[in-house]
Amino acid sequence: MTTDEATKSEGEVQAAALAERGEDITPSKDRGVLKIIKRPGSEGECPMIGDKVYVHYKGKLANGKKFDSSRDRNEPFIFSLGKGQVIKAWDIGVATMKKGEICYLLCKPEYAYGSAGSAPKIPSNATLFFEVELLDFKGEDLFEDGGIIRRIRRKGEGYSNPNEGATVEIHLEGFCGGRRFDCKDVKFVVGEGEDHDIPIGIDKALEKMQRGEHCILYLSPRYGFGEAGKPKFGIQGNAELVYEVTLKSFEKAKESWEMDTKEKLEQAAVVKEKGTMYFKEGKYLQAVIQYGKIVSWLEMEYGLSEKESKASDSFLLAAFLNLAMCYLKLREYAKAVECCDKALGLDQDNEKGLYRRGEARLLMNEFELAKCDFQKVLEVNPQNKAAKSQISVCQKKTKEHNERDRRIYANMFTKFAERDAK
Amino acid sequence: MAVDELQAIIERCQILEEADFKGEDFNLFQVAGQKCLEDGYAAQLLEVIQNEKNKVIIKNMGWNLISPLVRCIFMYKQEDDKRENCLMILDQLAQLCNPKELFLGLLEQIEQTSGEQVCQTVMLLLQPLQTVLLKLQNKKAYSVGLSLAMIMNQLTPLPVPYTKQQIQEDKLGLCQCCNAVVDFAKPFVNEVVKNMEKSSEYNDMELKEELIKFCMQSLKYPLLAAQLEQLEGIEDHPFRHFATEITDILWNIGELIPLVFVHHKGKSPHWENQEFADIERKNSADSLACLSYLMFVQHFGVECFPVVFSPSYLLLCNMTHIEVLLKRTEESILSKGLDLFESCLLRMEDNSLLHHYLELRDFINVPQDLVKIMTLCPMEHMRKKSLNILQLFIDKFDTEGKYTLFRCLLKTSNHAGVEGYIIKNIKDQIHLALMKEYDNIWFTGHHLISLLDLVLSLPEGAETDLLQNSDRIMASLNLLRYLVIKDCESDNQTGVWTTLGKIEQNFLKPLRVGLNMSKAHYEAEIKNKKENRKEAHSSNTVCSVTVSGEKMPAMTTGMQLQVLHSALFTFDLIGSVLARVEELIEVKTKAVMDENS
Repeated sequence: MTTDEATKSEGEVQAAALAERGEDITPSKDRGVLKIIKRPGSEGECPMIGDKVYVHYKGKLANGKKFDSSRDRNEPFIFSLGKGQVIKAWDIGVATMKKGEICYLLCKPEYAYGSAGSAPKIPSNATLFFEVELLDFKGEDLFEDGGIIRRIRRKGEGYSNPNEGATVEIHLEGFCGGRRFDCKDVKFVVGEGEDHDIPIGIDKALEKMQRGEHCILYLSPRYGFGEAGKPKFGIQGNAELVYEVTLKSFEKAKESWEMDTKEKLEQAAVVKEKGTMYFKEGKYLQAVIQYGKIVSWLEMEYGLSEKESKASDSFLLAAFLNLAMCYLKLREYAKAVECCDKALGLDQDNEKGLYRRGEARLLMNEFELAKCDFQKVLEVNPQNKAAKSQISVCQKKTKEHNERDRRIYANMFTKFAERDAK
Repeated sequence: MAVDELQAIIERCQILEEADFKGEDFNLFQVAGQKCLEDGYAAQLLEVIQNEKNKVIIKNMGWNLISPLVRCIFMYKQEDDKRENCLMILDQLAQLCNPKELFLGLLEQIEQTSGEQVCQTVMLLLQPLQTVLLKLQNKKAYSVGLSLAMIMNQLTPLPVPYTKQQIQEDKLGLCQCCNAVVDFAKPFVNEVVKNMEKSSEYNDMELKEELIKFCMQSLKYPLLAAQLEQLEGIEDHPFRHFATEITDILWNIGELIPLVFVHHKGKSPHWENQEFADIERKNSADSLACLSYLMFVQHFGVECFPVVFSPSYLLLCNMTHIEVLLKRTEESILSKGLDLFESCLLRMEDNSLLHHYLELRDFINVPQDLVKIMTLCPMEHMRKKSLNILQLFIDKFDTEGKYTLFRCLLKTSNHAGVEGYIIKNIKDQIHLALMKEYDNIWFTGHHLISLLDLVLSLPEGAETDLLQNSDRIMASLNLLRYLVIKDCESDNQTGVWTTLGKIEQNFLKPLRVGLNMSKAHYEAEIKNKKENRKEAHSSNTVCSVTVSGEKMPAMTTGMQLQVLHSALFTFDLIGSVLARVEELIEVKTKAVMDENS
């Protein structure tokens, strides 16, 4: 037998087996996707919607001809399960697999490429045969920093998500080290979950959830209760948390363009107080969200009366100064400088603005610039002792740095000279 | 004599140590060598260079001869012996000279050419350049990158041959040159591939990066503007060949698939600073769009592409690229955008695209770009094509999607013809809804009423310019007529009978008023013109029209009358459909009233 014939007859055997004994895994039981397990995987769960899935596969047409194989590319194929990225047969089929499993799938065109086919390899109305191996799967890393991993149990609907400030109704259960410490139905505003003992990670994750979604969230301490922990729930500092959340419903917050100036100024007062409250409790991420609202509402607002303009500027100035403080605490120094720049744009001799910018710059090792800022502070307020001591800190650090540089570069030039001589 | 001078300097340098070569020695050598070439003594120069004893001298000083050498090669005819000699000299120099210096000399030469000389010079120097680069140890990757970038920079100002004739003629040699450049790059590609199979050394990442840069540059020029369809009568289409080579390079160094999906991954892994990432994204937008076109329309590299993605996901991934291409005005680039869009849509089944996708910005922007093309593009075949593609796009959406899209386009297109076309689509959807068994909530009932409010209205009431909007008005009237006939008042599936009062107030009444006003106005104009005809034709034109620097002749009274009459005809047409609709409404309402009484 030639290789082609061999492949064809092997393909026919597999397809026939599937047609006969294959399990119908379609939700509507229309035999659109039939499956046979070739090699069972390890015990345990199947991948969930949204999970990042790693597979190897081989695809053949009804006549046995291979049209694709991930092994030919020497790379596993990676995709997000249950999101419509792949043909329906795959979203259904891979969701039934366990890690390490190899299976065969026979897919009718309605669950594959239908009447349109897929030029140039797949003809119209083609039934496809796949051999799939599930190598691995892991939860979706929501912010690509390992802070929040999400696994969806039940998908929600629509592409619309709660925005910051939206009112959400959720059911929530919190676990730490296998022990459940919290279980409630709660309605709150996204960004203010803290008021209900809900960590910031939940607020952030909600912005990516769909209506009706039921998911599991794995929070690293940074997005959980941080170093302080939560004594009320008996949780130590730096604890990893697991939450099960169902987003029952939500109402989006008004977009900035939907509010008029009067409303914005009213809300700005409310939000400023909230921000300050969070700041005093050391909840800097939440405070940033509140102050940030003032900026997004008022920074680009036009057509203000003189009175409104004054009020707006006063709110913005306070917001920028407070944001700078928060960013200093969060160690995001570049952002702190940015906020100080904006504050100083509104009030160029603002003592707090200059001082905080100086602090940020000092921590970014920009000693000269920091010194300038502190000197300006003294010009505005000669009594500011803190600024004085900061200036001497700058000078000391500058000297240290120069010493170090001198040593490094001295060696460098000797090295170059030696190399050139060769 | 030139040869003697050359001999003299050679002899002098033969006895010197390499380290003792002075600046003036270099100068004398260069001048003497140049003179030899210019006076036609290439053969003698070749001998000198081939002489073993002079190896050290040539190694240090040879690179200075590049410039006069290239000049001479172009001076001599193909068959001339002297040209042969010059080519051999070039070859020898590549073998003997200090690679670093010769490299700079060659690059300098390429940088200095321009216009018609560019391709010839590049093709001439590619071989020695390759030899030299393969000899470099340190900084090879950097030098390869620099060479490729320099060459492509020099080629970029040249026009890309587009028609079959232009390609066959290849007047400036661009087609040939591009393919020569990919051949030139092959050994470096092979090196990267070989090193990929071993461990990853830092140096090889650099060479791979340079090759990626070269491919991205090539995608932007010449491929983005090139004609890439199969052409009858051209066996080996040079740009198709070039495109195949580029995709092959990307595939071999393992970057083809990642690049096709790069924008979809979100954060660019290369840059910390968001600003740099944004700049990179903007610069690479054209290249990536071209790559998608190559893969999905011309099927270059599609062998390697996974065949498991859903068609709607492929459309999603390509929308950014389609948008980039559709924003351009050059025919070659615009047509690629339309082809890419069409090919993505043809992979989908009708009614399969979920309305959710319209929540994404691209999916709203792109149909508006299509509308711009079909109304503003000067090329008729482009206008027709983009209209076809818009219809295709509409067909692929589910009913809620169609509904949303119609609303959006009615609000944003600002063009009566397009609005009329959309209204016709709405009529077709209502027709389908009425015929089907199950409830289509979007084209019946209260959703439809809300849409009808948009459709069955006059934008400026009775003062609407009826001529300007005639396409739209006719389509609206036809739709209303259809509804009145098809949907019995007892059924009222479409809800038209519920909203009839509003329709009469917002549409039918002002339309009647407007028609009367316009007809009266135009009839008065016609009467005036006819009376004035008897008087002398005055040249008191209110305004004049200048096209291409030539002033258009004023319209004769005869022409003006023609225009006015045709306007009247349009009003009559609208009026007659309006009358028919009103008649139908009256009949039906009366029938119901009779029934009820």
